[in-house]
Amino acid sequence: MAEEIVDVLIIGSGHSGGMAAKVLTEKGISCLMLNAGPVTDPRKDTEVKPAYALPYRGFMQPGQLPHVFQASEFNANTWVDEKEVPYTTDPNQPYNWVRVRLFGGRSLFWSRQSFRLSDYEFKAKSHDGYGDDWPISLADVAPYYSRVEQIFRVSGHIDNLPQYPDGNFVPDNSPWTGCMQRFVDAGKRKGVPVCKARSSQGVDGLASSVNLLLPDAFATGKLRAIPNVVVRQLSVDKNTGLVNEAHFVDRISRREMSVKARVVVLAAGTLESTRLLLNSHLANSSGVMGHYLIDQIYGAGIQCSVPEARDGKSNSQLMGGSALIPRFRNIDSKAPNFLRGYALNVFSGTGGMDPRNFAAYGVELQKKLESYHGSGFSAGIMGEVLARYENHVRINKDVVDAWDIPVLHIDTKYTDNEFNMARDAVDTASELAEAAGFEILAKNYKPNPPGYSIHELGTCRMGNDPKTSVLNKWSQSHDIKNLFVVDGSSFVSSGWQNPTITLTTLSMRASEYLAEQMRLGNV
Amino acid sequence: MPAPAATAPGPVPWMRGLMEVKPLPMTPLVPDTIAQTNATFFSTQQMATLRRLGEILQPAYKGYPNATEAGAPEFLDFLIGASPEDRKHLYQSGLDRLDSEAQQHFQKPFAEVDAAQADQLIRPWLRAWMNEHPPTEPYELFINMAHNDIRAATVNSEPWSEAARKAGQPTPNVDLYWYPIDPDLHREAASLAHPSMNQTLKN
Repeated sequence: MAEEIVDVLIIGSGHSGGMAAKVLTEKGISCLMLNAGPVTDPRKDTEVKPAYALPYRGFMQPGQLPHVFQASEFNANTWVDEKEVPYTTDPNQPYNWVRVRLFGGRSLFWSRQSFRLSDYEFKAKSHDGYGDDWPISLADVAPYYSRVEQIFRVSGHIDNLPQYPDGNFVPDNSPWTGCMQRFVDAGKRKGVPVCKARSSQGVDGLASSVNLLLPDAFATGKLRAIPNVVVRQLSVDKNTGLVNEAHFVDRISRREMSVKARVVVLAAGTLESTRLLLNSHLANSSGVMGHYLIDQIYGAGIQCSVPEARDGKSNSQLMGGSALIPRFRNIDSKAPNFLRGYALNVFSGTGGMDPRNFAAYGVELQKKLESYHGSGFSAGIMGEVLARYENHVRINKDVVDAWDIPVLHIDTKYTDNEFNMARDAVDTASELAEAAGFEILAKNYKPNPPGYSIHELGTCRMGNDPKTSVLNKWSQSHDIKNLFVVDGSSFVSSGWQNPTITLTTLSMRASEYLAEQMRLGNV
Repeated sequence: MPAPAATAPGPVPWMRGLMEVKPLPMTPLVPDTIAQTNATFFSTQQMATLRRLGEILQPAYKGYPNATEAGAPEFLDFLIGASPEDRKHLYQSGLDRLDSEAQQHFQKPFAEVDAAQADQLIRPWLRAWMNEHPPTEPYELFINMAHNDIRAATVNSEPWSEAARKAGQPTPNVDLYWYPIDPDLHREAASLAHPSMNQTLKN
């Protein structure tokens, strides 16, 4: 069989890989996509079942997925099993690495929150002196955001807040429910903006690479895709220094194979792209690859009840809906004990309450649950974690995965900046809830372990200086010009914003640049 | 020309007829509908304590079964027995302490305390908490986690769903279940059969 050289090899099929495939193929460039897991067909792979019919009565198999707090017995088979693809940490510094290797990756399962970064993130150092600015600003990215928001059908309300940039939204002018209006009013009195969240509507409820991006790429006839192949290494042409080949293993049979490519686009997810580059000993002349691992703090928050909704009085005018408090700390004033800021996700429920929110049992608890039914209100933090050189990943040669590929050792922890921020978030949410007349049932000040947010970012940060960054402002390797990393690895700071829309936007921008450079013959 | 079908050592093809009856005309039964779980992990005394704890924390209410009627103690015996060591220890030491406190305060095993006596032993340890952040003191954790588990094992039982059906209520905790999408590959090499997480790097 004649050996073929593909134009662009894309590794990964989630939002970033899907966007690269869409942009490149629509410009006539042939792409081959490799994905480490299988294609799923929910019609075949799923069935609606009651918990009592599951093998572990809804508890999940003991010891399975200990670091995926999002897992339940219903969805346990969708996550990467850490026995198959391990990673290591210091016992005192746990990390929750939450992974999906199904075709489409984590784009199959995400919360749809779709927020632009502002220049309080892109130019954070200029604002407060900490860390580094990105080599790009909101103005550079805004036109691409608009196009991505159109594809994802992002609903939102125009708020005119510089830290919460408006976008190309499907207008959300729906009225607040009664309880949300009370919370909004409480925020106004305390100078805290309570806004509508912005959310990807997608198509038919799904906002994934597999339905919003990949169909367009396949329709061009220029995209081919291979599932169930795990890339172990990239190699370079010794004469040119350019990356020219990917070595991979068939996930099921373990057959070793290789494919040659003119350009490689890495979109395997923040830590997997970095792991592949570190295992390949490529693109790290700066020495910062693997460093500056960042994410966002989650888990701190409050659970409340709206008294007027109890005892059968809950209704759709009073209860339900959600809101978003964008960062408000360290914008015009300075918080005493932390840098940067956090957002609060705010929800109102119309269903049953969580029995854990009551220090009661037996008939007393049952009566409480009946009385409080439909009165739930909660707020939870999404907080920026500062980028630090010492928070990093490296290869652990002593442990390999199911295909003999050395695994990552993840070395990261939160510091007082994050803990103080979490405390401020819970206290602020409590003040607002009490001012709105809600009963606080439970509080938690302690963030979940790093990684829990599934917003791992950084480790191949972008920058203008090749000595201090891995990628340039186009997500292109400083060292190897035909190598691009288009997932969240390029982030310089995390912000509080869910990163999906930003990383998809940066992938669009990088891919258009790549296509133009290929047209000009520069790549 | 289709490939020849697999054949038995006889004149009839093995797979013959299956396509015609697909899906098979049967309604599978959950074993709990008719069978008991054999309790083998907890000691007799621990099991008696767990049963009484279940009756206290999750009594029958408005036609819904109590923990024992839902088979929760036996199910938890199975679940905890299949769990990592720290969870086993939490339950075993917690049940033992609850029983010894009953002996100390009321000179009888916890299995024989009345509701008021049980309340004296349990209520001081109850906490309101949020998902993923239970209390951290071990005995406090045991009381609150056992409460959570007993309740979940009861509500997620077949008898509870049957009671909901009789009451005209929807079955609780119905969701989209994902079957294994394809076989997971675990290395067979002994050294890697159970790769140790949280391993500290050498050097």
